[in-house]
Amino acid sequence: MEVDSVKEVFQRSEEKHNVKYAQYIGDGDNKTSKATLDLDPYNNDPKVMKKERVGHVEKNAWEPGSVMRRKQTRDSGEERALKCSVICARPTRRFTFLFTRVKMAKKKVDDKNSQNDDNTKNDGDLSSNDEEPNFSDPEGFVDDITDEELLGDILKQKPKETDGVESVILVDGVPQVGPNRIEKLKSVINKIFVKFGNIVNEYYPVTPEGHTKGYIFIEYSSPVHAAEAVKLTNNFKLDKQHTFQVNLFTDFAKYEQIPIKWDPPEPQPYQGQADLHYYLLEPDAYDQFGVVTAQGQSVQIWQNTQPDPTTVEDRNNWTQTYIKWSPLGTYLATFHKQGIALWAGPNFSQYKRFSHTGVQFIDFSPCEKYLVTYSPQGDPHNPDLKRIIIWDIRTGLEKRSFNPEAPLLYETPSFGLLDKKSIKINGIRDFNWSPTDNVVAYWVAEDKDVPASVTLLELPNRNEIRKKNLFNVADCKIHWQKSGDYLCVKVDRYSKIFHMREKQIPVDSVECKEPIQAFAWEPVGYKFAMIHGESPNINVSFYEVRVGQAPILLKKFEKRACNHLFWFVDTHEFLVMNTTDHYQMSDVEWDPTGRYVITGVSFWKTKVDTGYWIWSFQGKILKRINLEKFAQILWRPRPPTLLSEEKQKEIKKNLKKYYPQFESKDRMRQSKASKELIEKRAALMEKFQSYREQRIKEYLENKPRRLALRNNVDTDELDADTENVEEEIVEFFIKGRNNPSGLGHSG
Amino acid sequence: MKPILLHGHERAITQIKYNREGDLLFSASKDNKPNVWYSLNGERLGTFNGHQGAVWCIDVDWTTTKFISGAGDNTCKLWDCETGKEIGNITTASSVRTCMFSYSANMAVYTTDKAMKQPCEIFIIDTRTIDDSVGHQDPILRIPIKGARVSSILWDNLDEMVITGHENGEITQWDLKTGKQINSVKEHDNIISDMQWNKDGSMFITASKDHTAKLFDAEDLLLLKTYKTDRPVNSASISPIFEHVVLGGGQDAMDVTTTSTRVGKFDSRFFHMVFEEEFGRVKGHFGPINSVAFHPDGKSYSSGGEDGYVRVHTFDSSYFEYNFDY
Repeated sequence: MEVDSVKEVFQRSEEKHNVKYAQYIGDGDNKTSKATLDLDPYNNDPKVMKKERVGHVEKNAWEPGSVMRRKQTRDSGEERALKCSVICARPTRRFTFLFTRVKMAKKKVDDKNSQNDDNTKNDGDLSSNDEEPNFSDPEGFVDDITDEELLGDILKQKPKETDGVESVILVDGVPQVGPNRIEKLKSVINKIFVKFGNIVNEYYPVTPEGHTKGYIFIEYSSPVHAAEAVKLTNNFKLDKQHTFQVNLFTDFAKYEQIPIKWDPPEPQPYQGQADLHYYLLEPDAYDQFGVVTAQGQSVQIWQNTQPDPTTVEDRNNWTQTYIKWSPLGTYLATFHKQGIALWAGPNFSQYKRFSHTGVQFIDFSPCEKYLVTYSPQGDPHNPDLKRIIIWDIRTGLEKRSFNPEAPLLYETPSFGLLDKKSIKINGIRDFNWSPTDNVVAYWVAEDKDVPASVTLLELPNRNEIRKKNLFNVADCKIHWQKSGDYLCVKVDRYSKIFHMREKQIPVDSVECKEPIQAFAWEPVGYKFAMIHGESPNINVSFYEVRVGQAPILLKKFEKRACNHLFWFVDTHEFLVMNTTDHYQMSDVEWDPTGRYVITGVSFWKTKVDTGYWIWSFQGKILKRINLEKFAQILWRPRPPTLLSEEKQKEIKKNLKKYYPQFESKDRMRQSKASKELIEKRAALMEKFQSYREQRIKEYLENKPRRLALRNNVDTDELDADTENVEEEIVEFFIKGRNNPSGLGHSG
Repeated sequence: MKPILLHGHERAITQIKYNREGDLLFSASKDNKPNVWYSLNGERLGTFNGHQGAVWCIDVDWTTTKFISGAGDNTCKLWDCETGKEIGNITTASSVRTCMFSYSANMAVYTTDKAMKQPCEIFIIDTRTIDDSVGHQDPILRIPIKGARVSSILWDNLDEMVITGHENGEITQWDLKTGKQINSVKEHDNIISDMQWNKDGSMFITASKDHTAKLFDAEDLLLLKTYKTDRPVNSASISPIFEHVVLGGGQDAMDVTTTSTRVGKFDSRFFHMVFEEEFGRVKGHFGPINSVAFHPDGKSYSSGGEDGYVRVHTFDSSYFEYNFDY
């Protein structure tokens, strides 16, 4: 390499620089020098002469770095100067090439000299500089490459003036204080803002008198902290007069550059919402139910098709605890650590998310317009998060949030407090809305001389329409009848019935000496039932409420082991249609049509035999599904029917006409299922038989070997070998017979 | 038909076996004394007295002359069937969990438990002539088991290999010429407490605590069928005349006290061998069933339970009339 380049240098010197190099300075033992001399580039005009071992410095100038540097650190300054002067004294016009090099070296050495005086450690830097060959542009050279092209990647990292400014926030609305209170202010401000991150710098501008100006700058160690501080402290109310206005410092620059011309935002293309009620269009009106196994490890949605239910959707980790359907069945709510997700549409795609950390309970408004979420613990990282949040389902926006306190009545949709006043009721224990009217029933516990009372309050005019005082009440449960006609208030000894539809709302009481375990109204009608008595003597009583009459006992079932009340019996004739067992049963769920009922044994209650069974309304078992870690089952509710009353009546009247249609449809389905089953079985059997053929063949082939092992006695069939059998007669006594010579048996 | 109750054991039944002809039924129990009964009427023919601990396993040879039993007293004993006399006694290092005669009954196999720092081992012994020296003779083959202990064993019908079912659900084939493992599969998640042949010895059924019984091909250990229940399965047997299998099991003995008989589900369950569908149940035991066996003529079956009873059930005519549509 070196030889080639030196040759090139000599050969082009004339055309390039119009010089001839007369002398070659080398270290003498180099191949290069010999090659150069042999080359004779200028045809002996002049002949290139070799300067033997001119000195170390020259050589070191060519080979910068190592030797030179070491020398410098060793040699005294004087020596260095001398050596340099040797080089400097040398230049002639003919030595231009070498000269520039040496000059450079000299310059560096000069630099070094000055640096060395105060700091010799910088040698490292120097060496890296030295390594670079001469890249200086010739005079008049115009760079045709831009810096961006050349070092775009490095330029990106070039520090900007605004660097670090992103982590600065500007807080306005800070109290203006004198110099004497500035420390106090600082500590207050610090307490608020240190929550979001490490504060590296703060600045309180002051007037010449030393008063703060009402705004401050705070710099965090990271822009992330700054952004969070802005998010959470903007509009922070320090006290009555002072509300913080917090902005990022960079926002000022951003808003300065708002273009004058405003482009209207592109209209978003309309995204058609999936049909949320598609499941109602199911031609056979099959209902759906959701099954949760093992803490939401998987959620399945089933369609209760006949004869076997079919899976609609099966997802793992769909929820973290349990699921809930909205009251009309449109949405499926799943619970997660971060909040609630609502799913709807044909594929159960995510409809909305409601972020509420640690949410455990939710409720829908009856019309599925609003959702209220309750997080009992709140968020430990974010103490400002309210524990109750009301959301608008359709927009997914938070309507209102608060922490639980005395009942306040809010208006929808503005969610302002009704009449801007809360209803103050001292000692309220429980309240319940009437399912149909704007009436609230609540009860107040006994307080010293004031007896406990149950009150019906009409809203929004706040009329107390009925109040009943009760004595010696420990606890009280309020049960509205589903259509809102009756209200039952169950106290420890009495059940009181409020006749809502009659004048003055008369109150009846039913006395029951035994503790009442459960109470239930007939969904539409005038009967109620209760379970009373102590285990194991538990009775179920049915009562009827008539206009103007005290409730009449209709029927009493004695000694029924039950702990919850559901309507299993035909209440017209009080026939128990069927009694069946599902051991350890924990859930009973009627389907929305009342044709099926599911009983479940949840993993939340017991660890063995979990699963759910599907029954018909007559109490006939249809399906037993035992599922490991089965947790929850819920039917998907249906919205109320859209048919008018006349239409419904008409259908009921013509039921006989429709009956055969459905009957034949069911039969077809059954026969189809059994046909499928038979086909499946046939396939299985055929497969099995073909596998067996081979094995049986092998078995027969091995017969001689088997015979050899058993002394040539054929034992393949029980009676295959008759010759080797020893007949043995055993006599048995047959019970109940006196004659011992009964039965003989050949073994 | 009303089952015959064989009430002769004082403690839980561990294993029951018919002899080849099916006229005799042998039963082993934790009460140390294996019994032999007439299968026809349930009369006791005799007992094998001599063990000092729970008898875990029994087998009878094809000629019904020799009887082998392994017990928790660290012995494996050989008996004369006719007289009930002990003719051979092998003392082992730990309790004997399984034992079986070979097809020819020239050899027998027994396995010992992994206990008291002893490894689980398979022993093959010569049983052509049995006398007092049996206890001192070296076994023909001795295979130490490194992994989970053997919980059930089967001998093929050519005296060439044994199949072992293990505590961890593994099934392994052993070649007896080389003493090497041929093949091993793990289709069960829990202990395989029982394995039984079908009539021609080409398939076998396993019963496992993982709530399933499975049918395997004996040659390549291919899983053929799975019978699922909701209880541990302790024993399973294949009908010699129909494509039926019977499964016996139930809640673990230790958990039984916390549940009633109703929940325990101590029923024998009948499955169709090919369709894997359950078609019948026989109840009666008030503890889990530890062992079931079909009579070699397929017309009756017996079950032995934790309750100490052996129940001999003769099938009603409806059993023989019942047909699966396919």
